[in-house]
Amino acid sequence: MYEALAAIGSVMLDPYLLMLIFVTTIGGIVIGVLPGLGATTGAALLLPFTLTMSPVHAIAVLATLYVSATFAGSITAILINTPGTSAAAATTFDGFPLAQRGEAGRALGIAVVASTIGGIFSIIVLCFAAPMLARVAYEFRPPEYFALTIFGLSMLASVGAGGAVRNLIGGIFGVWLATIGAERVTSIERFMFGNYELYEGLSFVPVMIGLFAISELLVQSKKAHLVAEVISLKAVKLPSKEDYKRIWRTIARSSGIGTFIGILPAEGATVASMIGYSEARRWSKNKEEFGKGAVEGIAGAEAANNAATGGAMVPTMVLGIPGSGTTAIILVGLMVHGLRPGPYLFTEQVDTVYQIFGAMLVANIIFLAMGLYAAKLFARISMVPTSILWPIVFALSVIGAYSLSASLLDVWIALIFGVVGFFARRHGFSVAPIAVGLILGHMVEVNLQNSLKMFDGAWWLIAAQPLALLFLVLSFLGLFGSQIVKMITKQKNS
Amino acid sequence: MRSLVIPGIIALFSVVIIYLALQLRTSPPLIVGASMQPRSFPIFLMVINLLLVGIMIWQNLKNPPEPVKMEGPTTWISIGLFALFYMLTTYADFFIAIAAVVFLLSVSWGERRLLVAGLVALTVPLTLFLIFDEVLKIRFPRGLITNWYYG
Repeated sequence: MYEALAAIGSVMLDPYLLMLIFVTTIGGIVIGVLPGLGATTGAALLLPFTLTMSPVHAIAVLATLYVSATFAGSITAILINTPGTSAAAATTFDGFPLAQRGEAGRALGIAVVASTIGGIFSIIVLCFAAPMLARVAYEFRPPEYFALTIFGLSMLASVGAGGAVRNLIGGIFGVWLATIGAERVTSIERFMFGNYELYEGLSFVPVMIGLFAISELLVQSKKAHLVAEVISLKAVKLPSKEDYKRIWRTIARSSGIGTFIGILPAEGATVASMIGYSEARRWSKNKEEFGKGAVEGIAGAEAANNAATGGAMVPTMVLGIPGSGTTAIILVGLMVHGLRPGPYLFTEQVDTVYQIFGAMLVANIIFLAMGLYAAKLFARISMVPTSILWPIVFALSVIGAYSLSASLLDVWIALIFGVVGFFARRHGFSVAPIAVGLILGHMVEVNLQNSLKMFDGAWWLIAAQPLALLFLVLSFLGLFGSQIVKMITKQKNS
Repeated sequence: MRSLVIPGIIALFSVVIIYLALQLRTSPPLIVGASMQPRSFPIFLMVINLLLVGIMIWQNLKNPPEPVKMEGPTTWISIGLFALFYMLTTYADFFIAIAAVVFLLSVSWGERRLLVAGLVALTVPLTLFLIFDEVLKIRFPRGLITNWYYG
C-alpha cells in the first residue's frame, strides 16, 4: 500500500505530468461537452498524440481524458438536454428540468460534486481491488484465460445499443478481424489478399479511429442542421447543506453501484448511470419529483457514471479485458507503449500502474475545480457549429490513423471501418463489440491453441478446470440467464 | 422480405469467409501438434455467426425491425468526399487532400461563411502537420507539397 501512496504522490511531484493532466482535463471536458464526440472518440483521436510520450504519461493522458469527458457529458445534458456522452443520458432526466426552472447552476454543482466523489471512490477501490484480482489472476493458465475471454465476449451481448444477438455478431466479426494476418504458430497467411502490410494483422488504432470517430462523423452528418435549445446559466454553485442532506446517501450508493458495474467486463458508465438513477428513484422519499428536476436523480446518475470509469479500469489492466470502447482504446494504448496488460503488470510495472491511478485521482480533483468555475465557458464550446467541428475531426482522424506506422493503408482502413461502422450502427449494431472482439480475438485463439496443446487435443478438459468452468458457467448465465428465468416464470404462472 | 436483407448479407459474408478459410494451406501435424489448423478458428467463428444469423432471422420474423430511413444527401456527400480524399492523396498530396476535404465537408454540412471554411481547411491541417512533423517527428507521405517541403 505504501508503494501505491508513494507512486500516487510522485504524480504530484512531476510538473510535466501535472501539466499534461491539467491540459487533458480541459481537452476532455471540451470533448465531453461536444455532442457526439465523447470519451471513446476523443481517446481514439488522442492516442496518436501520445506515441512519443513515456508509457505513464501516455496512459495517464488517456485515463484523464476518460474521466473528464465522462463527467463533462453532464454539462450539455443539463444545459441543452443533449448528453455529451451516452453515460450522461440519465442526467438529462432531471438535470434539464432543473435547468429549465432556472437552477442550471445548482444542477451542474450537484453533478460536479457527485461525479468527483464517485470518481475518487472508484479509484480508491481500484487501488485495493486491482492488486487483489491480479494475485488471483497469477494462477490463470491458458484454459482459464480462454474461459475468461469467452466470458468477456459473452458480456458483449449487453454492451452498446444493439440487441444481444446483434452485439454478439459484432463481437464475432471483431474476433474474426483479429485472425487477419500471419497465423502465430504456422505463419500461414490468412485473409491478407496478398497485402503484406497486413502480415502482422490489422493495427488496432486505425480500426478504432474508423469505428468510433469516422462512423460518428457520418452519424452526425444527419444532424448537421439541428439547432439546440440553450438554457442560460447564471453561476455554478456548490450544493447547499440541504442538498447534501438529500443526496449524500444517493452518492454513496451510486458510487458503489457504478464501481461494481464498471468492474464487470463489458458493462460501462452508461449502464451504471441508468442503474444509479433508477436506484436513486427507488430509495428516494421524493419519487414524484423524479423527471421534474430531482437533485437525487442527477447525483445518482453522475456518481454512478464516473465511478464506473475507475471500476472499468480493473478488468482492463488486471485481465486485459476491456469493458467499453474507451477502455478498449486505453488497452491499445498500453500495448502500443509496450506494457503488457494482465496480472504481471502489477509486479513488473507496479509504479507505472499506481502513477496512472494517481493521474486519474488528480484529474477528478481538477475537473471539480473546472466544473465549478468554468462550466459556463465550456457550455459555450458546445455551440461550435457542427460544420466546423466535424471536418476538424476528419482531419484529426486521418492524420491520427496515418501517424502510428506512417502508412497510408492505415488511413484507408480507418475510412473503410468508418463507413462499415456507420452502416452497422444504422442497422442497429453497436461498434463497441467489434472493437472489443478485435482486441480479445488474439487472446481467445492463442489461449485455445495453448489449451489444446496442454490437454493433447482434448478440448473438453478445459471445462474440467474449476476456474475455467466457473467462467464458462457465468458466460452461459450471461447469455441465457434471462431466458431461463423467463421460462421458469412462465411455467410457474401456467 | 426486408427483414431478411441484413441477416442475408451477414450469412453471405460468413459463407464467403468459410470458403476462403477452406482455401488456406494446412500445416503439417508436426508443427500444429494437438492444436488447431489455421483455418479451424475462423471457420468455427463463422459457424457461430451463422447460428446467430438464424436467431436474428427468427427474431426479425417475430418482430419485424422498423424500416431504416434513407440517409440525407449530407451523409452520401461525406462518403463521396472520402473517395475524393483517396484520389487526391494518391495522385496529388496528403496535405492538399485533407485541406480540400475539410473545406468541402464544411461547406456541404451547411457552413455558409466560405472564408471561415477556407481558414479552417488551411489552419487545421497545417497545425497538425507541424505538430506531427516537428514535435512527434512523423513525416507525411510524399506528394506535391511535401516533396517541396522536405526537398
